[in-house]
Amino acid sequence: MATISNAHSELIHDAVLDYYGKRLATCSSDKTIKIFEIENDIHKLVETLYGHEGPVWQVDWAHPKFGVILASCSYDGKVLIWKEENGRWTQIAVHAAHSASVNSVKWAPHEYGPFLLAASSDGKVSIVEFKENGTTAPVVLDAHAIGVNTASWASAALQDGSSTLQERRFVTGGADNLVKVWKYSPEANTYLVQDTLEGHSDWVRDVAWSPSVLLRSYLASVSQDRTCIIWTQENNQGPWKKTLLKDDKFPDVLWRASWSLSGNILAISGGDNKVTLWKENLEGKWESAGEVEQ
Amino acid sequence: MTSYSQGENAYNSNTFGKSLSLRVDGGFNAVSISPSGRDVVLASRQGLFIVDLDDPFSAPRWLHHLTSWEVADVQWSPHPSKSSWVVSTSNQKALVWNLSKSSSNAVEHVLHGHFRAITDINFHPQHPEILATCSIDAYVHSWDMRSPKRAYYSASVWSAGASQVKWNYQNPNVMASAHANDIYIWDLRKGCTPLHVLKGHANNVNSIDFSRTSETEIMTSANDGTVKFWDYSKSFQEPQRTVVTDFPVAKGRYLPFGKGFCVMPLVGGNNSVYLSSSVTEGEPGAMSKFQPIYVFKGHNDRVSDFLWRVRHSTDTNVDDREFQLVTWSKDNDLRLWPVNETTYDKVDFQRFQPVDHPPVNHEYRTFRQEPLESQSLPSFAHYPREHFVTNSGFEDSHDKNKINHLAWVSGVRMHHADSPRSLFDLDKLQNLGEEVSMIGHKFPKVIFEKISVSTGTLTLTLCGPWSEQNPEDFVFLRIETVFPPNYPRKSAPRFKIEENRELDSSRIKEITEQLQEIARGYTNLGKYCLEPCLRFLLGEKINLDTLQEEEQLLNLDVVDYLGLNDLSSLESSDMRSGAISEESRTSDENEEDLDNKSSNDGFVSHSAQTLEIDSTPIPKGCGATWAPSGKLVCFFTLEGKSDKKQQSMLRLGQRGPTSLKVKNTPEQLYDEKTEVASRRPKRYVETLSASSAHNSETGVSGSDTDSDTSSDSFGDDWDDIMRTDITLRTKMPMLSNFGRSLASAPSDDGKSNVSPPKAKNVVYVHDYSHLIADRRQLAVDYKFTGESLEAVCKHNAQVADSNGLEDIAHCWRMVGNLLIDREERYNANFGWHHTARGDKWFVKEAMNYFERSKNVQMLAMFSCILMNPSLEKLTRGTGRSSLGEKNVITFECDDQSNFSRSRHQSVTSSLRSEDYFSPHHSSVRPLRSRLSNSHTPSEIVGQHSFLPDIKIEILNNDGLDYMDGKALALLDPADEPKYRSYRYQYAELLFYWGLLINRAELLQFNNTNEHFPPELWHHSSSCELDTCGETNYTGVSYKTLENDSDFLTTRICNFCELQVSGRGFVCGNCQHIMHAHCAKLWWEQSDECSSGCGCRCIEMFDVV
Repeated sequence: MATISNAHSELIHDAVLDYYGKRLATCSSDKTIKIFEIENDIHKLVETLYGHEGPVWQVDWAHPKFGVILASCSYDGKVLIWKEENGRWTQIAVHAAHSASVNSVKWAPHEYGPFLLAASSDGKVSIVEFKENGTTAPVVLDAHAIGVNTASWASAALQDGSSTLQERRFVTGGADNLVKVWKYSPEANTYLVQDTLEGHSDWVRDVAWSPSVLLRSYLASVSQDRTCIIWTQENNQGPWKKTLLKDDKFPDVLWRASWSLSGNILAISGGDNKVTLWKENLEGKWESAGEVEQ
Repeated sequence: MTSYSQGENAYNSNTFGKSLSLRVDGGFNAVSISPSGRDVVLASRQGLFIVDLDDPFSAPRWLHHLTSWEVADVQWSPHPSKSSWVVSTSNQKALVWNLSKSSSNAVEHVLHGHFRAITDINFHPQHPEILATCSIDAYVHSWDMRSPKRAYYSASVWSAGASQVKWNYQNPNVMASAHANDIYIWDLRKGCTPLHVLKGHANNVNSIDFSRTSETEIMTSANDGTVKFWDYSKSFQEPQRTVVTDFPVAKGRYLPFGKGFCVMPLVGGNNSVYLSSSVTEGEPGAMSKFQPIYVFKGHNDRVSDFLWRVRHSTDTNVDDREFQLVTWSKDNDLRLWPVNETTYDKVDFQRFQPVDHPPVNHEYRTFRQEPLESQSLPSFAHYPREHFVTNSGFEDSHDKNKINHLAWVSGVRMHHADSPRSLFDLDKLQNLGEEVSMIGHKFPKVIFEKISVSTGTLTLTLCGPWSEQNPEDFVFLRIETVFPPNYPRKSAPRFKIEENRELDSSRIKEITEQLQEIARGYTNLGKYCLEPCLRFLLGEKINLDTLQEEEQLLNLDVVDYLGLNDLSSLESSDMRSGAISEESRTSDENEEDLDNKSSNDGFVSHSAQTLEIDSTPIPKGCGATWAPSGKLVCFFTLEGKSDKKQQSMLRLGQRGPTSLKVKNTPEQLYDEKTEVASRRPKRYVETLSASSAHNSETGVSGSDTDSDTSSDSFGDDWDDIMRTDITLRTKMPMLSNFGRSLASAPSDDGKSNVSPPKAKNVVYVHDYSHLIADRRQLAVDYKFTGESLEAVCKHNAQVADSNGLEDIAHCWRMVGNLLIDREERYNANFGWHHTARGDKWFVKEAMNYFERSKNVQMLAMFSCILMNPSLEKLTRGTGRSSLGEKNVITFECDDQSNFSRSRHQSVTSSLRSEDYFSPHHSSVRPLRSRLSNSHTPSEIVGQHSFLPDIKIEILNNDGLDYMDGKALALLDPADEPKYRSYRYQYAELLFYWGLLINRAELLQFNNTNEHFPPELWHHSSSCELDTCGETNYTGVSYKTLENDSDFLTTRICNFCELQVSGRGFVCGNCQHIMHAHCAKLWWEQSDECSSGCGCRCIEMFDVV
């Protein structure tokens, strides 16, 4: 178990391992992003990235086929794209379509290409495609009136290979307590709301789309109302079924939800500074799979 | 002085005699005032700002000079003949600016003689061309601007760097400089031997000042907390008088009027400026306690400098000077303080006494405006290179460098001196400027094209729902508004809506009339009317009847604000520049200069940031993310309780000098109300509302953030917190300040030597792969293909066993047995075997189980293995039927499904048996023939023809399949897409694990599908993110004041005024240069220097 203490001088807001689990990117209120190399239990700080002018909320690694690329979003309203080449990190792009804090940034499943999804407190989400010719084509959508707290891509559903790209979906969660599922509409050439999921009674802080391509789509949404809801949809269509992860409320507000690669385990964390693990048993009930010790 | 137009006179100034606070962000360090008292120059690492004190609402002029060195001093020339000259320091150089030149080219001279940072500049009180500089290189130089290449006088105290240099007011040859604890008096005529050395201070002398009236009197202030008054004609051993203060004194100067002095503490002393009288003369050498007679208190951080703004009438012989104190503080406020009559009396300043020498008249003009191009005379011949550089830099940065005018306006607070309310806690609008600034932030969609508060004209543009065709459409309007001088008291502004394509003139007239009516309604009550007018223009109904009852008109209620917010996005530039200015400021403080590049936007007012509803949620301090490898990255805060963290973060948000001052501004109320509107039960509320708990926290969080200001400012913060609604806190609406507070973090690191570092956060990487069903180890050893499927299953079972996965191993064995069983059955080759459906049931259950347990690995493996048998059987079967031929067929999984699917379709769509089979025939035949050249399709197809008519409702496709002579598919072919995606997902997993060969093997099962693009993986591999072209670094290319621009000017022949490029003679003494041939001509006539400097070059330097 690798342990990194006091990597940042302020609160850490996100820590993500890259595709191969070799590099760790952390970001913090100290406006920096740090890159660590992790080898077994040994870690080494390899780079500190400066560039944001506010706390950095989230980072996300792009799929390695695009290169060693990291996206970060910050309170300063910007998304910065960083790239490593020959051991040198450079900032290669700025996505500044938002006018308020960008709370979440996510790369699309690599099958879609270099698409980036950003959610901002200005109430909008933006989808940027970094095209081969160096241009970007941001699509900015009004998503949640007061602010969008989180957004997450659906995994590339390989129902029919030809329409993979057309099937792009993502989910957003906002300060209007709603979770919205969006789908790309080739006719409109934009993303349209497919479903609006009501169930939370306070700000939705994180939504996570299970990366599994099992027939059922799983969404986990966590909220300030101290609940986590698992939304399931059969065969990528039809209504979403709502299941509370836990019938009673969590001891504190919930902040993060993360699925393991095949959607086996859901990790939930929140204001009580605890990380709990959950799995679905064979009866379709959610049960605890342990708690992470600090 | 008859040329003065109306307003161009100090007595028409609307700020003299009033309190004024100007917020100037951007890390300005030094300040000076023009002799006329109209302009103030502020200097920072970004250049100079010229602020017109008579029109504080106008954005200042910005002369760019980006440097990484703090500007130690800036001085405005006190001479009328050089009223446009300003000198500022830039490390070891002094820059002489001529403000009457264009900002891009305003540097007149660069004085470069010191070799370490200059600490002080002083203009000669009599000679406009002469100034003195001193530096920590221990030198004191005196410069003549007519010959700025070299100092004409230099002296040095070798022991210590100089902190101050001052000219004597009376004797033009005498100056004094402070070096460490001692003061040296120099007489230029005596060379570099000091006239006197005044020793007596116990610590560094920070400030010296000659008396204006008595030649040999000088006052000195030092870190030892004393101010000493000397008269070196009487004694240079002992001061005449010593005043002891309880703070180290940063600046101490004689008052320009009466008999008194002013001191300013270096630290402590309530960040005030103290005025004291020196009327009471004591015994020589007497010590006395400092007794201020007036204290200018109000700054939140230490005062950097103080200045006197003076005005007097131009044509009398009486001393009618009036003064106003101007202070500049670290809290980024420039403040003007009125001085009242009693103060004049106390320092024995008798006004309206006749004077012998009337004070010098200065033209009352401002240099805030950029001079017209014709006025600036760019000297191409002399500065070709420099001109080029600066010009391009200026163009480049033109837009970027525009100071946010609205932000600037909102930083201005003006107050009448006689108003009963104190200056700095205003909760009501004071003037049009404040109204504009507040409105500007409240209506982000309204763009102020022109703000001229002094003339009372505004030009603004907005989009309102005034379209006649479609009420939903918004029409662009440009409105010019002229405010009468005594607005808002009974005088309504006039509105003029610009002609518009989308509105006809009658409509415009109608709108204008309604506007006027609203404006009159409000101004008749003495209320500010801009906001209701704008709301009307934006499509709201304004009810003038209820006007009387409305108490706080200027507080929009939440609903309004939210509505507006919906259709208008917050302006991004504000926020970004806010962040930048915070950045630049903190980096100044921290000396931890990460980014000079970000300090371009100097200005943004704090209120600009706090105005918006910031819906940014509370930062996450704890979380966990899965890595594909099955590792879980967790991060935690280490403050034990999240409640604590919550509070300290909140305090960070609330703290900071800026937030203190605006605590009563209506803007903050929005935040509160919004939160009220979205009132929900929250857990933090209870913990936060317990005030005792919060108070007890202060110590903890204070130490967490080690900020010097925190302890001072906390009291006020706390009031804020208590006043605001409790729910406000959970969502940190004040995050904008949060950024800055956090930015001081690096300095905390620096301090960690002093106090042991406190753990704040921790990241763990846990390996939870045991919880995940998919195992790399299994993948390494699993096989997809082998001699027989049974063998494959057996092998895989062993693999699972060796990894301790009994259930998986068991499953493999079951499947293996099942396959063997089927093999046997197949050989018996009899159709309606009852176990056939049992097998299928088992497989279905198994798949179901793995789906539930989300074991992608097993799902994919099974979907591969179990896809095989039917195909293999089929090949075997065909092999048998046509003996001697080899089974070289590679079967495609999808054929199977297509085949079956077509049958399903036929079942549902047709009832007649002929119909039922007919599509089957057509679909199967070509497929077969294509796939297998060793196969005779008629065999299979032929079988169908023997079938009797079967009732549709009992059709069993599986059975029919079986009877077709094909093995029954264990997997439902209809689910094939699903299985394909399992395989695909497993392939992804294998890629994660680096098992590329296994992955390739696996993908074979998928890739034969014609729907499936084989290049799926690689199709976009070339889409590297290469958007370098996009990066928009917005740094300002700044004016380089390299030596060589200076050098160029020194390379000019003093005889023919042409540049010396070839052979030339440089005098070793005066460093003047001449062409070789010019020198020859010149020295035939004279042996003095051709520049007229008086140097006898020939004697000094043997040029022949």
